[in-house]
Amino acid sequence: MLGSLAIAMYLLGLTLRNSQLVTIAVVIFVFLTWAALFGGHADVSASGRRSEEWTGEEGVALGSVSAMRKMSSARIFEDGELNVTLRMQNHSGLAKILEVRDRVPEVMRIKEGSNYILMELGPRRETFIEYTVECPLRGFYSLGPVAVRIQDPFGLFHKEKELHVYNDFLVFPKMEDLKETFVKSRVPKIFTGAVNIRQPGPGSEFYSLREYFEGDSFRAINWSAYARSGKLMVNERERDAVSDVIIIVDSRAVSETGPVSRNALVYSTRAAASLAKYFLGRRDSVGVITYGDEVVSVDRDTGKKQLYVILTKLAGAVAKGNTPLQVVVNRIMPHINKGSPIIFLSNLEDDPTIVNALRDFRARDFDVTVLSPSSLEFEFDAKRLNRTGYEVLKTERDVLISELRGLGVNIMDWEPDMLLSTALAGARGF
Amino acid sequence: MAVKRESGDTSHLYDGKTVRSSAPSRKALAGSAGIGTEIPKDAIPEIEVPKFIESLLGGPIIPKMKFLKPDKMVQNLQLAVYGILAALGFLTFIVSPGAGTIWFMLTGSIGLASIIQIVVIVAACGLGFYGVFKRDGRFLLGSQLLFILAIMRFASSKVSLSFDPFGLADNNFLLSTLVVIYAVLLIMYIELSSGVLRYSMLDTSIRTNEVYVMNPGKIVGKYHRALIINPVIALILATLVLSANKIVPVIVNIFNSDLAGQLRESVELTSVYGVALGTLFVFLVVGGLFALNLPTHIQNWRESSGE
Repeated sequence: MLGSLAIAMYLLGLTLRNSQLVTIAVVIFVFLTWAALFGGHADVSASGRRSEEWTGEEGVALGSVSAMRKMSSARIFEDGELNVTLRMQNHSGLAKILEVRDRVPEVMRIKEGSNYILMELGPRRETFIEYTVECPLRGFYSLGPVAVRIQDPFGLFHKEKELHVYNDFLVFPKMEDLKETFVKSRVPKIFTGAVNIRQPGPGSEFYSLREYFEGDSFRAINWSAYARSGKLMVNERERDAVSDVIIIVDSRAVSETGPVSRNALVYSTRAAASLAKYFLGRRDSVGVITYGDEVVSVDRDTGKKQLYVILTKLAGAVAKGNTPLQVVVNRIMPHINKGSPIIFLSNLEDDPTIVNALRDFRARDFDVTVLSPSSLEFEFDAKRLNRTGYEVLKTERDVLISELRGLGVNIMDWEPDMLLSTALAGARGF
Repeated sequence: MAVKRESGDTSHLYDGKTVRSSAPSRKALAGSAGIGTEIPKDAIPEIEVPKFIESLLGGPIIPKMKFLKPDKMVQNLQLAVYGILAALGFLTFIVSPGAGTIWFMLTGSIGLASIIQIVVIVAACGLGFYGVFKRDGRFLLGSQLLFILAIMRFASSKVSLSFDPFGLADNNFLLSTLVVIYAVLLIMYIELSSGVLRYSMLDTSIRTNEVYVMNPGKIVGKYHRALIINPVIALILATLVLSANKIVPVIVNIFNSDLAGQLRESVELTSVYGVALGTLFVFLVVGGLFALNLPTHIQNWRESSGE
């Protein structure tokens, strides 16, 4: 602004032969030149290039500033906190007044400290900037770049540089502790495990009473039943075994309908993580499939490592695309054991193949549980849907849920404030 | 005879029937639902889009920035601006007589032009005082524009004064020094008033924990030093630059005294074109130094050797 004013005054002064205007213009020019020369911006003013165009070592004033970052952890769970330490170094022999802003993903909140610092960094000195961010949403995130700005005392010239220091970290979906899922397999694998399946066999849970046969252990005899009926009766127990559990997460674009922190995808990923942890804790074999623009699957496996593989996949699930469920079912059906429990997490919107796809599962005797976080509730709560629209859509949704229930699917309309364990129990009719 | 097996498959119930299996499109419903289809207010973020004039000035002028109560630093800056504003108003009145102003061109009356000129200067001061008091960029911008408008002269003239109790008009050097002082005050007013806004913003940001300042004393100290040093240096350098038409004959005198004498008596060199020529000469030298990348080398040297 001052430069333009000076040029205008200078030219006008020359045109009108007015020495007063020329004098004022010259003073402004001198002031600007001095500020450019000795305000730490000589390199900018020298070539006339804009500050953004500087790369690498070309920027003299900022070329000697470097940054390093350290994080307390590279993997955290939702609502977890991350401590960040940014180390700023000035390698030159000149003190600098720097504005430093460490770029933090938009969804994160600075809980303690600050990522935006104004400081005087002495010659050949370093300083540590510490702050804590709160990570409310799952995902892959990066901290950085570090934006550094230097300007003259009057703010006439400034120069910015982005120090490309990045640190990636993962925010896993948070998990709910589950005591019981009510999901049981009818098809055991050969290894015994901690999960009851609906077959009599070696186990700890009571299954039924039957008459005593030769060879039965005396310890299994139910003496009370014997006293009542006069016949020797033995307790049969549910067979404990390892089973395959398949979790399907709908991550189509429509699954993100609603506010950023309250939508079907957020709920589905949290539920999938909780279920995976529960089943893996019982030594089950758990596989996860997420589908949106493509079908991404985690092969069935057991153990803690599998949990981290699943959590990583769930953290990276992005609402995108509109792959129909039927495509997913056709693809996975040949690879899963008949009768395995399948848990499907979806808001059941905008997919005309849902009924047919779930019917295919049921036709092959899979135990299907559907938890459906209701996008309608999220949108209605956020006042993005009026009452009439909500009622109409709710009716349509209820019809669809009834239809699926008619197919023998264990389904629950999962309302936003309902705990996962409650929703699971509800799906099973408890 | 085939044994009827129990099956969970209920597909036979739906065979041959058309079953709606998904909820209708939300978008379609939103378009036909009647009331309440407008975009909720909370869904639209507030964005300050700079208007055309604002974008020329480098960005949006945020009129409703809620500053916290000013701290001592900002209050001192405000007091400094008040002082400079008073001096600037007085000097503007002195160095911009009614003759030669745009008002004189429009009205043709020196009396009327003088009155309008005084009104403009008073308005510039008034807006400036209010803008600094309220820390409102709009009033400050208005004040700066009015000052620039007041000093704009649309007539060929040397420096003339509307009020000259000390007889400055008789001495060309003092006269041009007065204009230089005026120009420095104008720049300092512009810089300090924007400094009031910048430091108010910074102060508010510090107190709302948006920014953390390390060694605030050193940062503020550097600004205070610049407030003294920069205008003094600008004053000296500008005087030297503007005296180039007088310095050139002195230098030429070393080689050729006759030519130096001719230069001294040259009407062109002592006129506004002489000033412009001298200025051009100086800035050509400065431009050459810049072209040779000398400032970068100086900067490099300072970076490596320290202050």
